[in-house]
Amino acid sequence: MWINMGPQHPMTHGLWNLRVKIDGEMILDVDPEMGYLHRGIEKISEDRHYNEVITLMDRCCYVAGFAWEHLYILSAEEALGVHPPERAEYLRVLCEEFQRIGSHLMWYAAFVQDLGLMSPFLYGMRDRDLVLDLFQSYTGARMTYEYMRVGGVRNDLPPGFSDQARKVLDWLDARFPEYDQLCLGSTIFRRRCDDLGVLKARDCVAHGVTGPMLRSAGMKRDLRKDRPYSAYDRLEFDVAVAEAADVTARYLVRMEEMRQSVRILRQVVDWLDHHPGPVLADHLPRWLGAPYAPIGNEGYLLKRNYPKGVGLSAIEEPHGEALAYVVNDGGEHPYRVKFRSPVFANISASRQYLVGYHVADIPPIMGSVDVCVGEVDR
Amino acid sequence: MEPNDIARQLAPKLGAGLVAVEPLPGTAGRIRFRPEAALELFRAVRDELNFGHLSTVGAIDWVDHREVFYVVWSDDAKQYLFLSTDVPADKPHVESASSIWPSANWHEREAWEMVGVTFDHHPDLRHLLMPDGYAFHPLLRSFKLHEPEELEVKTRRV
Repeated sequence: MWINMGPQHPMTHGLWNLRVKIDGEMILDVDPEMGYLHRGIEKISEDRHYNEVITLMDRCCYVAGFAWEHLYILSAEEALGVHPPERAEYLRVLCEEFQRIGSHLMWYAAFVQDLGLMSPFLYGMRDRDLVLDLFQSYTGARMTYEYMRVGGVRNDLPPGFSDQARKVLDWLDARFPEYDQLCLGSTIFRRRCDDLGVLKARDCVAHGVTGPMLRSAGMKRDLRKDRPYSAYDRLEFDVAVAEAADVTARYLVRMEEMRQSVRILRQVVDWLDHHPGPVLADHLPRWLGAPYAPIGNEGYLLKRNYPKGVGLSAIEEPHGEALAYVVNDGGEHPYRVKFRSPVFANISASRQYLVGYHVADIPPIMGSVDVCVGEVDR
Repeated sequence: MEPNDIARQLAPKLGAGLVAVEPLPGTAGRIRFRPEAALELFRAVRDELNFGHLSTVGAIDWVDHREVFYVVWSDDAKQYLFLSTDVPADKPHVESASSIWPSANWHEREAWEMVGVTFDHHPDLRHLLMPDGYAFHPLLRSFKLHEPEELEVKTRRV
């Protein structure tokens, strides 16, 4: 018998439908139905100027907007041949790592609530708000930032930011053991999550599964280490891995990743304190800012010789490997923009880690995948 | 891995199926191949060059033809490799990569519904993001978001 879990179901965390074929309580087959949140971001991007696409990137994944801005900016800069100043690169790392903490805290809150633990949900959301407060202090927004620009970032940090950031990092460092006590110390949690949703490294690679799910199977692939971008080659951190490949292992990997993010952020904040400088490249081509310039009472299209090129960038997004391919055909809009969403691939492999378990196991397993429908449907 | 090494390794196996191996910034190179040689190339790239992870599949509508591209990653070389092939616009089709990399399944479904490229021998080629029975391929250039208004382009007199 086929049943629908979704589009409105507490398990889905977003708008999608998991069709499940069951025999009693056993899962025989699954068929995820996506597309409820499809907004055609790739199509709309073809009709916008390069800097205007950034607005869409925040909406791509609504819990990791900065990561997607970063991804797009890296490939757009390569396609246009623009280089950002060093301070901007560190600022982008600051954004991405805080975003990783914010995203993982959101995941933690939602995941443990799926298991029926209510209080960790409140603690997770409380601490995520501290990160959002930091974002608000320098971008003015809590979720849709529009902060990065082709050639750098929009503005520098406000005075007193680094003290505030260090306070938040200290606070978070002291909270991680408490999270572990709430979950790993709980017999209910361990009996519910151990040996559940197992997906071994071999199958992960074959089915394109990346991110914490892949690393929980013992594979040490992290694009920040393997293919460093921005300032990651100048920062010290370890790649979080676990061996068991089950739901508990994914929990352990994400917790360790947050600790490593705190470690990276301490270095970044120190660096930013000692290296003032410009945050936007000098001598940016004028058409980047204003393709249509008002002159007199009428608008004129500024005819420029745009460079041609393609840009391919990949980052380690909180959910896994995200990839962008921007084709610049010499026009004022990108000719084609293609995004690879990590959750898209992770859900496409759902048959591999759901079949054989029970219906009641679906919420914890899908919770451990960390689904963000915004970036799957785009 | 350099484009020349890749060409040297693949050329004897693929012959005329291999069009060119060009450098592409940020990757090990860009392999251009003929659609008829797709399966052979995929197998060689996975088994001989060790690119075990297929990152994504996409397609571009160049109006006079369409381009299908594949991005693959090697855990040994820690590099991406870009594969691309040109298919005719009147009957765009290429062999599915899902028998080589199972992860191609959904990426190809998306490329088919968005750009209208058919993937032969795909296990499950149906709509993914669009509703069933949707009659258009939205990422084609002929699918207009809006009709562009006539914009009078004036040059500024100095």
